[in-house]
Amino acid sequence: MKISFSVFVIIAIFMAAALSHAASGNAVHSIELPKIAVELRAGEGNETTGRFCNICHSLDYITMQPPFSTAQWTATVNKMIKVMGAPIAEDDAKAIINYLTAEYGTGK
Amino acid sequence: MMIERKFSRRNFLKTAGAFTAAAALGGIPYELFASGRRLVRFPEKTDLILLTSRPPQLETPVDYFKQYITPNEAVFVRWHISNIPTSVDLNQWRLKVDGNIEKKLTLSIEDIRKFEKVSYTAVIQCSGNSRSFFEPRVAGGQWENGAMGNVTWTGARLKDILDKAGLKAGSIDVSFNGLDAPPLASVPDVVKSLPVDKALEEDIIVAYGMNGADLPMLNGFPARLIVPGWYATYWVKSLSDITVLSKPFDGFWVKSAYRIPDAPCGCVPPGSTPKKTVPINRMTTRSLIISPGSNAIIALKQPVKIMGIAFSGGYGIRDVIVSVNGGKSWDEANLGEQRGKYSWTQWSYTWRPSTPGEYVLMARATDTIGGSQPLDSIWNPAGYLWNRIEKTTVVVK
Repeated sequence: MKISFSVFVIIAIFMAAALSHAASGNAVHSIELPKIAVELRAGEGNETTGRFCNICHSLDYITMQPPFSTAQWTATVNKMIKVMGAPIAEDDAKAIINYLTAEYGTGK
Repeated sequence: MMIERKFSRRNFLKTAGAFTAAAALGGIPYELFASGRRLVRFPEKTDLILLTSRPPQLETPVDYFKQYITPNEAVFVRWHISNIPTSVDLNQWRLKVDGNIEKKLTLSIEDIRKFEKVSYTAVIQCSGNSRSFFEPRVAGGQWENGAMGNVTWTGARLKDILDKAGLKAGSIDVSFNGLDAPPLASVPDVVKSLPVDKALEEDIIVAYGMNGADLPMLNGFPARLIVPGWYATYWVKSLSDITVLSKPFDGFWVKSAYRIPDAPCGCVPPGSTPKKTVPINRMTTRSLIISPGSNAIIALKQPVKIMGIAFSGGYGIRDVIVSVNGGKSWDEANLGEQRGKYSWTQWSYTWRPSTPGEYVLMARATDTIGGSQPLDSIWNPAGYLWNRIEKTTVVVK
């Protein structure tokens, strides 16, 4: 009687462990995102641009855009600061706009 | 380490990768060779065209649209802010319903499955699909035509969930938040809203099933909102909070973003700024030629099947007409299966070219309420609502 009760307890513990394992094992769904490096073109302001823009998004957000004018890149950088909350000071913003216009824009 | 190696190898062999995909699909993804875009593989997804990696924006090669249903692994991916969910514990995850209601709800995925199950096929399409074709060019995700797919969704009616919560008088909007979060406190969280009358429409569901399987994490696991007929900006992924509001929703992603000019065409003269805008909503009617691809070589005097897709903003498709001579004359295409008004239909047209030369193929869809496609593209500053009649140039030899 004693033995069979112990066996019952052991089986019960195993079953509970198995069930909780199954529950947690099935319940957690995870993925790991790949890291894809993007190299910005060399040029004055390259480092500043990479450092700030990379805070919120990968740099392919820049490289996929069509060539924009100074006015268009200014509007985009200003939108990032004023609307999307990017913490970029005025001097850095100027350097970023100049870099983007020169390397990913019409140059004017 | 393994992932990095996989990616550098993939980079190196990107042409080989494209050929592998082509072999599986029975056609060359010609768009890749023309534009220098490349394929990448994200978790639970197949090789898709990389727009951006953080947050991910991945485009479906249009060869997949030769299939009536777009496989889960091939459906496009689009997130807005970089802290996207990568792990969800279903023992912890809950959908919370709060606000101007009688009874707050905290629903597990099992609770949501207990509501009456609804299933239908509907086109999912990004508001900015085809943005890269706008002229003058506009800022934003530079999608070609692959930010869409045709998927069978399964879930619970939003109306049934809201009825259980009990809307109080004076409800105006319903807002929807997901598990994605801003990288900085200053960045506006992605929250969308629908007017309460829209939210109570029968066909809007909280979907936990995608083509009979769980949603891939990157497509909104474990549940997302489906607003069939409307652009996917409202189809909030990894839904976590529904809030019923007694005043108009004023969050950034509705008040300032995803807006179109307040005009019947949703357009303004190219390059100009609209005076007044409204939130984007119903999809425009469009069609696409999937095969033959651009610059394909067609055999003289042999029958060739021209095929493509057509869909509308929830009104089905009445007919598709095809031209093989740049729009000089048109002929009716055969329509294939159409699983309800929200699904796309595949159409086909058999052509037997009798003279060698260059030909411009065109297709034009009309929905059941007469909505159709313009010959020249409309324009708006955000690059939304693209539905021009597409042209595919082929060579007959």
